Amino acid sequence: MRAAGIALIVALVAALASLPLVLPAFGLTFWVNVVAEILIWSLLAASVNLLFGYVGLLSFGQALYFGFGMYGTAIGISMFGLGLWPALALGIVASTGMAAVAGAFAVRLTWHYFAIITVVFSLIFYFVAMSQKWLTGGDDGLSFSAPPILEAAGWMLTDRTTQYYFIFLVCLACYALLALVVASPLGLRFAAVRENEKRAQLIGINVYATRWIAFVLAGFIAGVGGALLALFGRYASASYMFYHVSGEAVVWAIVGGAGTLLGPLVGTALLIIFREVVSGLWENYLMAVGAITILVVIFAPKGLVGSLTALVRRGESEEREHLENPGIPATPATARAEAE
Amino acid sequence: MENVLSIRGLTKRFGGLAAVDGVDLDFPYGVLSAVIGPNGAGKTTLFNLITGMLPADGGEVIFEGDDIAGLKPHQIVSRGLSRTLQIKSVFTGLTVADNLRVAVMAHEKIASPLRPALGFSGVNRRVEELLAETGLARLAKRVAGTLSYGDVALLEIALALANKPKLLLLDEPICGMSPAETETTVARIVALSKSTQIILIEHDMEVVFAIAERITVMAAGRVLARGTPKEIAANRDVQDAYLGAPEDAA
Ligand SMILES: Nc1ncnc2c1ncn2[C@@H]1O[C@H](COP(=O)(O)OP(=O)(O)OP(=O)(O)O)[C@@H](O)[C@H]1O
Ligand SMILES: [Mg+2]
Repeated sequence: MRAAGIALIVALVAALASLPLVLPAFGLTFWVNVVAEILIWSLLAASVNLLFGYVGLLSFGQALYFGFGMYGTAIGISMFGLGLWPALALGIVASTGMAAVAGAFAVRLTWHYFAIITVVFSLIFYFVAMSQKWLTGGDDGLSFSAPPILEAAGWMLTDRTTQYYFIFLVCLACYALLALVVASPLGLRFAAVRENEKRAQLIGINVYATRWIAFVLAGFIAGVGGALLALFGRYASASYMFYHVSGEAVVWAIVGGAGTLLGPLVGTALLIIFREVVSGLWENYLMAVGAITILVVIFAPKGLVGSLTALVRRGESEEREHLENPGIPATPATARAEAE
Repeated sequence: MENVLSIRGLTKRFGGLAAVDGVDLDFPYGVLSAVIGPNGAGKTTLFNLITGMLPADGGEVIFEGDDIAGLKPHQIVSRGLSRTLQIKSVFTGLTVADNLRVAVMAHEKIASPLRPALGFSGVNRRVEELLAETGLARLAKRVAGTLSYGDVALLEIALALANKPKLLLLDEPICGMSPAETETTVARIVALSKSTQIILIEHDMEVVFAIAERITVMAAGRVLARGTPKEIAANRDVQDAYLGAPEDAA
C-alpha cells in the first residue's frame, strides 16, 4: 500500500510537471491554463479538507481566506506597487491573520454552529468588500498587471509555461506541507480531536488550541490559493468571497475524498473539467453536479480517493489472509464493511 | 498531606435535581478506594466534577494539596489525574498503537508539525510499554473501532495510564466484560494500585468487596456511608439502600 501510494504520487507529480510540454504537442495548449486553475482551486478544497477531513470541522466560509489572499496580493501590487513575491506574502499574511482572528471565535463552536459562524464571517466581509469600492473595486474588482517572477531571469507570468510552473511549484509546496503536517504529532492530535473530542481532552490535549491551529493553517492554504488566483487572473473581486464559492469547495473536497491528501485535488479536477465540458452544452449543469455529489455521498461516502484506497487495502488484506489461512475463504466484503 | 484527593462541599444541580449535594470526602494515599451506590446516585457526576468535565455549583476539589476546581479537563489531566469514562471512549478510527501514541505525545507535550509521528523513539518505547502492561500488544495494529468491548475498555485504561497518573479514576471498568476479561482486568487494577492511586466506581459488589480497601456509598447525591468493606457490609443504611432497589446491585 505504502509503496503503491508513493509510486502513484510520483507518477502524478511527473505527469503534472510534464503537462505544459505534452499538451501543446496534442494541440491542447488551452488546457495548460485549465490545469493551472484546477491546481489553484484545489488549494481551497484542500483547506476545507484540512478542517473537515482531518479535524472534523465543516467550514462553509473558506472563501473568505481565499478572498483575503486574493485582495492582499492585488492591493499589494496595484496600490503599494509591490513585487510579485512581497505581494504574494502580503496576501498570505492577510488570509492567515484573518483566520487567526475568525478562528479564535469559530473554533469555540462545533458542528452546525461552527458551520454557521464561518458563513457569517465570510458574509460580513463579503459585504464589506462589496461596499468599500475605493479599496476593493467592489463588484467590478481590481485589475492589475503582474510583476515578473524573477526579473533577472526574465521569468514572467505572461509566458504560459512559466506561469504554469510557478503555480505548480507553489501548489506542490503546499501539498508537501500538508503531507508533513498530517503525518506529524500535530496531525495525530488533529485526528484525535476529530475522532473523540472528550477523550482528546482526557489525554491532556487542549482541543480548542488544536482546532485553532488547524483553522489558521487552513486559512494559510486557502490564502495561498487566493493569492495565486489573483496573479493568474491579474484580478481580484469580492465575488470570490461569496459563500457559493466556499460551498463549491466543500463539494470538491467531499466528492474527491475528505481526509485524504489528494482527494481535494481529484474532486476539484473532476468537477472543474466537468464544468468546462458540460456548461457549454447544458446551462443547468449544476443539477448534474448535485446529482454526482449525492451519488458519491451515498455510494462512496469516503469520496473517490478514500473509497479507492479502502478498496485497495481490502484487496490486499484479503490476499494476505488467503495466504495465511489457505483453507478459509476471505470474509465477504460486505461483512467486513459492516465490521468497520 | 495524607490524602491524594479531598473534596469539600462539592455540589452540582441539574435544574431542581441535586446530583451531587454538598459532598465532603477524603481519599487517603496508599488505599484502593471504591465508590458504590444505586443508579443515579451521582457517582459519575462526582467524577465529572473532579475532572473538570462539568463546572461545579460550589465546593473545592483538592488534588495533592492544590484546589483544581475550575481548571479545564486537559489541565487537570496534565497534573496527573486521569480517568476512564462509563461509556467507553477511545479514538475509534485510529489503530491501538496510534491511540496510545497520541496520548503519550500529549503527555510529553510533543506537537511538532513537521517531523513524522512515528519517528520518536522514546514515544515508541513508551507505547510498547503500555501495550505490554495492558496486554494489548497483539492488537497494536488493529483499528480501535474493530475491538471487542472488553479490549476497548482495556485500551481506555491504557490511554488513561499514558500520562503516568498519580491518581486514576475508573468508572465501571469491568462493566460489559466477559468473566475471563473481568478476572484479568481486576488483577491488573490490583497490580496497578501498588504504583498509582486508584478510585473506582463499580456495580459488581463481588469485585468491590474483594479488592477495595475503603468504600464510599453514595445515594441521591449524598454520602450515605464510608468505611472498610466489613463496616459497609454491616451497615443498615447501606443494606436498605440496596434492598430498596435490588436490581441496582447487578
Ligand atoms: N448532564 C446531565 N444533565 C442532567 N441530568 C444529569 C446529567 N448527568 C447526570 N444527570 C442526572 O444526575 C443524576 C446522577 O447521575 P450520575 O450519572 O452521576 O449517576 P451514577 O451514580 O453514575 O449512576 P449509574 O450507576 O447509573 O452510572 C441522575 O439522576 C442523572 O439523571
Ligand atoms: Mg455512572
